[in-house]
Amino acid sequence: MPRIAVLASAVADQIAAGEVVERPASVVKELVENALDAGASTVEIVVEDGGRTLVRVADDGHGMDREDAPLALARHATSKIRAAGDLVGVASFGFRGEALPAIASVSQLVLETSTGDGEGTRVVASAGTIERVEPAARRRGTTVSVRQLFANAPARLAFLKGSRSEWRAIADVVTTIALGRRDVRIVLSHDGKEALALPPASSLQARIGAVWGGAFAERLLAVEHAHGPTNVRGLVERPADVGTASRRVHLAVNGRAVRDAGLVRAAEAAYRSTIPAGTRPTLFLELTVPPDLVDVNVHPAKAEVRFRDRWPVERTVEEAVRHALGTFEAGAWFAPRPAATPGWAPMPERALLAAAPAAPVPLFDDDAEAAAPGGVATAAAAGAAVPPDAAEELAQRPPAEVLVPPLVQVGRTYLMFERADGLVLIDQHSAHERILYERFLRQLASGHAPSQQLLFPLTVHLGPAEAEAFEQHAALFAQLGYRAEGFGGHTVLVSAVPAPHPRFDAEQCLRDTLAQLTADRFAATPARHERLAATIACKAAVKAGDALSADEMRALYVALATTELPAHDVHGRSTVVHLRWDEIDRRFGRA
Amino acid sequence: MRFTITREKLQEGLSAVGASIPSKTTLPVLANILVETTDKGIRLSGTDLDIAVATEVAADVDSPGGITIPAKKLIEIARELPPNPVKVASSGDQRITLECGRSKFKLLGLPKDEFPAFPAVKFANALRIKSGELQQLISHVAFAVSTEESRPILNGVLWELRADRMRMVATNGHRLAKMELPVNGGGGSQDLIVPPKALEQIRRLFPAEEELEIAKGENHLGFRSPLTSVFTRLIEGPYPNYEQVIPKDNDKVCIADKALLTSAIKRMSVIASDQTHRIKLSFNAGMLKFAVQTPDLGEAQDEIPVRFDGDPIDIGFNASYLLEVLRFIPTDEVKLTLKAPERAATIEPEAWKDPAAFLALVMPLRLVD
Repeated sequence: MPRIAVLASAVADQIAAGEVVERPASVVKELVENALDAGASTVEIVVEDGGRTLVRVADDGHGMDREDAPLALARHATSKIRAAGDLVGVASFGFRGEALPAIASVSQLVLETSTGDGEGTRVVASAGTIERVEPAARRRGTTVSVRQLFANAPARLAFLKGSRSEWRAIADVVTTIALGRRDVRIVLSHDGKEALALPPASSLQARIGAVWGGAFAERLLAVEHAHGPTNVRGLVERPADVGTASRRVHLAVNGRAVRDAGLVRAAEAAYRSTIPAGTRPTLFLELTVPPDLVDVNVHPAKAEVRFRDRWPVERTVEEAVRHALGTFEAGAWFAPRPAATPGWAPMPERALLAAAPAAPVPLFDDDAEAAAPGGVATAAAAGAAVPPDAAEELAQRPPAEVLVPPLVQVGRTYLMFERADGLVLIDQHSAHERILYERFLRQLASGHAPSQQLLFPLTVHLGPAEAEAFEQHAALFAQLGYRAEGFGGHTVLVSAVPAPHPRFDAEQCLRDTLAQLTADRFAATPARHERLAATIACKAAVKAGDALSADEMRALYVALATTELPAHDVHGRSTVVHLRWDEIDRRFGRA
Repeated sequence: MRFTITREKLQEGLSAVGASIPSKTTLPVLANILVETTDKGIRLSGTDLDIAVATEVAADVDSPGGITIPAKKLIEIARELPPNPVKVASSGDQRITLECGRSKFKLLGLPKDEFPAFPAVKFANALRIKSGELQQLISHVAFAVSTEESRPILNGVLWELRADRMRMVATNGHRLAKMELPVNGGGGSQDLIVPPKALEQIRRLFPAEEELEIAKGENHLGFRSPLTSVFTRLIEGPYPNYEQVIPKDNDKVCIADKALLTSAIKRMSVIASDQTHRIKLSFNAGMLKFAVQTPDLGEAQDEIPVRFDGDPIDIGFNASYLLEVLRFIPTDEVKLTLKAPERAATIEPEAWKDPAAFLALVMPLRLVD
């Protein structure tokens, strides 16, 4: 008797179902995507008991006729592609033709559909077998009802979680789709209660507002950036807000929601030094990549994509987020009262960043161009905000003059100035910390730090832990300008010190930095040199309470204006706070 | 208390004392000037508890007494008075009236008992030094003190008194200035560390030809001329051993024209970093070259002819330290000596015909590489 047998199609479908249909949420995902592929403008989802007893998705799409309807339940039957060649550049959500049969194979499925002209069709299937096909009254569109999911797959059933957690997964799936397809009205209800009712939205922000509330959406920062053929848009959390609410990540590539750890890492890398170590920002990012540079046919649930060349894409994401963080308030920030001084246009953010010495140098320009076969790349690049040539030219230009508004120091802690739309306060310590941090990082990278020789070497006695911290970081301290030798025991003899500013107290800074390194508050910061730069910057910066002269304030302002991320210090606190006139007016009852 | 004084004498007295009044104080009476009658006129006193200044001016005293008067208002009033004799009278502990021509002021003061007592300094065995010599030392050295609070000792000027010479030294740990004068008949040997603010008063208040009596109390130093006296708190030593850091073996010697050198450094500082002021000097036979490079800004070069003896050397400095020192070089030519890029450079006047000796040290500012 032969040991090997070709499986009956019902069994094969059940096995395939294991890949596509893991839990009710995946049923919802497949059905809603089908609805969207059918050109629906409204999708209504009804769920009962976390999807165990019922998942029903109704749309007003183009529907199917009597002939097609039963075929939809056959494996690899699809309207979306015809030949293998169509797989490249596929734009619809589904295309494998395996979702519906897979779902049908593990449930009681009823499909009602109508193309709008003439009678509709009802197909009733049980455990993958079509039981009957009959006429039905139905408006244009399709309704798929899935009951008794996994009733015939006890292994799956056993692995379902409680209905609350299955419901949460469904809500996540629907939210993700809703963020991507903002033109569609989506209604989701659970056990008879309406959970989400989203009208068509004009923007990502409006959709986020409809899901999580307008206040949440308003506090997000807009991201918009293009590099070569890759375009990144979206909204990200302000560093000051990170960690205050639960974190949400939404990534979409060419309109398809995906999970991609690499892209998330790239976006998070842009936050480095603006948020405390260990906290993660909320991200809503949508990438547009030429379809031939990305392969979406990797994962049955299509949650993953493969980039032909992932480096330039990740770099563009990081750049995009960094720009958004760096230019938060930037356009107006550097040019107080633009209306009153027409000669001073707000500095183009692009120019400022490109001029900043540590701005990412376009290392991968060539790669990106090379990876993109001619036509697509040039077409996409032409649409980009700044063509690469212009960016390079900007990078070589000296930094533009920064217009300094009249500054006053208040509370010996903040610099205050007026601008057209309100008052701006700058925290002098945070600002200086940010300036020094970026300068120290540059010095560590370039190895050119000024080091002032001392007439009288400092003898610094350290505790054992501090001495060890010093030893560990000896090379980095040296790169920053500290020249020190061990002097027996835990004593170091410092003969030269950094000279970051005239008020710098080298000995105190060294001690505090070592104490800080020992206390390890920065432990989670990825790289040791960044951690040291952050610590030293914090210790070397002017403190709250230091009276600053007018020249010092101006110098601080100019230096801050030319940093990469002026709005945040290395701990993620804000350096800049903006009091709007309307807020002030309201306080005075002038509203 | 009642006296009459000319407007000019009042203004003169107030301008001497006014600078010792603290602009902000938690002790209200320190914002006042103590006015007391003496045999010959009145004495005005002011203090911020670190430094105290008292000066006597001529006045016609009708009835003796004393009171404290708000300094700022009194000075403003004196400045605006018409050129007539000023009649000042107190009634009770706190009320003052001031009349000048047709102008009349009533002020509220504080009782004179509230005014802090001046430090007890006995002038019995005082040193006698010509004010001009002291002022010469102060004006050449005091600029170099540290303004940073972490090492209080460097916030003071070291004043070494010896039998045959006196010397002042000041440093902030990056640069040092030292000046020495021969004196005759100085008594004993003392090392005093004096706050530069007090020295500034000495430089300002006493005419150059006047002979000063100088005496040390327990923790204070007193300076006295027939009319004016200044008291200052002393900073507790010991002062760092500066002799040890003055290089003796600098074998590279450069003689440069001070004006050329100064203007070249000033040109370089335009491009030097606002924060570190770093410029590079390259000494070669016959030529001193300057270079500065500041990322984000630009670069500059310059050169001046010099006399240079030794192997060529490149060395970096904080330009503002060099300029400060050059300002106090009394000769047209200046002598620089060097050893190595991480060793102290000295700067001295060249061919100075003066009994005094001046020397400045500047530590280099290196670029780590």
